[in-house]
Amino acid sequence: MTDDEVLREVQDWLAAHWKGLPAHHESFGRDPRSEWLAQVRDAGWAVPRWSRDWYGRELSNDQARIVERAFAAAGAPGAGQDRSNLWANTALAHATDAFKRVIVPQLLAGEVGMCLLYSEPGAGSDLAAIRTRADKVPESEGGGWRITGQKVWTSGAAVADYGMLIARTDWDVPKHRGISFFFLPMKQDGVEVRPLRQITDEAHFNEVFITDAFVPEANLLGPLNGGWGVLQTALAYERSVMGDNARGPRSGAGGPKGDHSLLGLAREAGKLDDPVVRQEVAQVIAWRVLNKLNTRRAKAELAQGNSSSIMSLGKLAMSRILHEEARVRTLLLGAESLLEGPEHPRAEDANFLALNAYFTSIGGGTDQIQRNIIGERVLGLPREPEVDRTVPFREVRAG
Amino acid sequence: MTALSHEDRAALVDSVRRLLADRCTEADVRRIMDSESGHDPALWRALADMGVPGLTIAAEHGGAGLGPVELELVMEEAGVALLPAPLLSCTIAAALLADGDAGDLLPGIADGSFIATVAFAGAGGWSGEGDVIVRGGRATGTARFVTDAAIADAVLIASDDGAYLPLHAPRVTPLPVFDRTRRMADVTFYGEVRRVGDAAAVRRALDLAVVALAGEQAGVARRVLEMSVGYAAERHQFGRAIGSFQAVKHMAADLLLESESATSAARDAAEHLAAGSGEREAAVALAAFACADAAVRCTKDAIQMHGGIAFTWAHPAHLYLRRARSAAQMFGASPLWRDRYLTALEAMA
Ligand SMILES: Cc1cc2nc3c(=O)[nH]c(=O)nc-3n(C[C@H](O)[C@H](O)[C@H](O)COP(=O)(O)OP(=O)(O)OC[C@H]3O[C@@H](n4cnc5c(N)ncnc54)[C@H](O)[C@@H]3O)c2cc1C
Repeated sequence: MTDDEVLREVQDWLAAHWKGLPAHHESFGRDPRSEWLAQVRDAGWAVPRWSRDWYGRELSNDQARIVERAFAAAGAPGAGQDRSNLWANTALAHATDAFKRVIVPQLLAGEVGMCLLYSEPGAGSDLAAIRTRADKVPESEGGGWRITGQKVWTSGAAVADYGMLIARTDWDVPKHRGISFFFLPMKQDGVEVRPLRQITDEAHFNEVFITDAFVPEANLLGPLNGGWGVLQTALAYERSVMGDNARGPRSGAGGPKGDHSLLGLAREAGKLDDPVVRQEVAQVIAWRVLNKLNTRRAKAELAQGNSSSIMSLGKLAMSRILHEEARVRTLLLGAESLLEGPEHPRAEDANFLALNAYFTSIGGGTDQIQRNIIGERVLGLPREPEVDRTVPFREVRAG
Repeated sequence: MTALSHEDRAALVDSVRRLLADRCTEADVRRIMDSESGHDPALWRALADMGVPGLTIAAEHGGAGLGPVELELVMEEAGVALLPAPLLSCTIAAALLADGDAGDLLPGIADGSFIATVAFAGAGGWSGEGDVIVRGGRATGTARFVTDAAIADAVLIASDDGAYLPLHAPRVTPLPVFDRTRRMADVTFYGEVRRVGDAAAVRRALDLAVVALAGEQAGVARRVLEMSVGYAAERHQFGRAIGSFQAVKHMAADLLLESESATSAARDAAEHLAAGSGEREAAVALAAFACADAAVRCTKDAIQMHGGIAFTWAHPAHLYLRRARSAAQMFGASPLWRDRYLTALEAMA
């Protein structure tokens, strides 16, 4: 297929099918647009790079991008999930065929809500320190796994159908080597979700108490005790997506979405002539644009078949952008930022951004961990010594 | 303007890189910067044989007819090697002459036999001091910080309303410069001049100059980061490589973000120039301050990461810091460019 044929086909398809959707507010759980997403999936546009066996079209990177651009131009969601859908990618890469058949189509259509059951009270940055246990149910009793433990900071757990869970399956080997990766069904008696009130005054994340919950054998991803490897690819994925886009202000589609809107805010605030403000505004916009340029270069390098060290920089860059943008918004608003509520959307946006910026700088691994990763994996600097790296986990001190 | 394929571009960069690795080693840089003129005709000849001074000069004038994209890539290599040669000067001069009727100078610039540089005079310039007035076909006054003027065969005048070629040799007073790898001088004009380009040509030349310098700054940033990372992996303290300490590792990670962002900015600006795009002004402004700031930050922190060894004259780190700090003041410093960036965005919004 030529590029032009791809473009024509996707445009024709969109013209015939895309009728728009009601305004969509960010949500966790089952995607309210799932009927549309299912159509996109069935037409092969959701994951154009994937094989035909798995809902794809086997398109090249460049052609897949043509598809994504056509969707973006029409304002239609759902294409390009082969780059953005963490859940589907992890499942496709590591799940058993039987489970993939069940879960991948549902994930591509957003028919199931998902959450990440990684962090525990005693294991955040040091995820290999998890103590949630998965114990094998004897084949005589039907097989599968029983899970017991406690997870925390779990975004979207309250509305999730499945959680990507890491649990310890071998306590007698060093900490990285006894972990397995599961898709845990959330809607069962052994799973109790308690919402946590966040600094943003929302409650998207939760504590999850797991007591003798059951996971069928088919829901083990990757090899038994090989979960650390699966987790690494899933985390790398999450981080690269977090550098690409981040949650905007609470006011949603109608509100400012960063970028040049900072300029609009400066104009509205009557401060576009203030030389100090101009410096600050220009710098924040510049960081955002530089991050986009970096991402574009990274994608070009990947498209040429080279690996790209730039890809790992996006999340760190995004943290700085979000924190600094919030600071400059506050600077522009001055005393107005003391207020909030629907009558003061600009203040609410600025304050929400200031708080929510931590979503990127802590969530998915803190900026400090990200710097360690860049230093070690990209720049090749020596690892930090870890005292418990070679000790059987049973003997590791808990913190 | 010829457009090179991706492979040809890579081959060009590679051959320049190899030439510089061979002919512009640290020892060469030190020898040249300590010499009376700060210029090595043999190195310049070798670059000319490879077509570097004529890279952006049209083929009909003996150049390679390439554009800002290739120039920027070559300038990255010049930055890596800390090239002490009049490449930037000649490139800007050639850009000024490109559309005028003084094209007869171009073949000499292209083959390396004629060195030209540009005095930016008046409000359109970057010196902030010194002024040259061109009136009635005569120029009078002094331009400051003119790069490579002491070795130049011609010093062009770039003013707000156009470019001029002096018909008499101006008086050149070399300046004691902080960055000894890039010589500068005050140049006093006092006689007849010939108009060789219009105001648009001056603006185009300045854009090209800024992007070329941005590329050089990106190269400087990249090189010192490489140096520091290499050192951090080898140098041991407290029984560990210093690169395993987070204070050092995190600095390196932050510098990688700076250096890669600078490279992205410089290359993007070059592409916008080549395409003559409407976002050219914003892209050039962004590259100007992003690359200047990145080069200064990277060269500055590189010394910190090396410790005392880099405080010595014998270590190359200070040569890069000198280059970065000086380059950051050329063609206008970062605050000015940030302001221009915002103005360009306002105009686009
Ligand atoms: C909004 C939000 C949403 C989240 N959603 C989820 C989710 O859905 N699922 C999930 O599993 N988790 C989630 N998390 C948890 C998140 O991944 C962890 O909070 C994060 O990895 C840090 O772990 P911690 O909170 O235990 O902090 P700690 O690990 O205790 O870190 C505390 C401080 O110490 C520093 N530190 C720790 N170790 C090192 C080191 N080796 N080097 C340098 N500094 C270090 C950290 O950078 C930080 O500054 C979420 C967090 C947030 C804020």
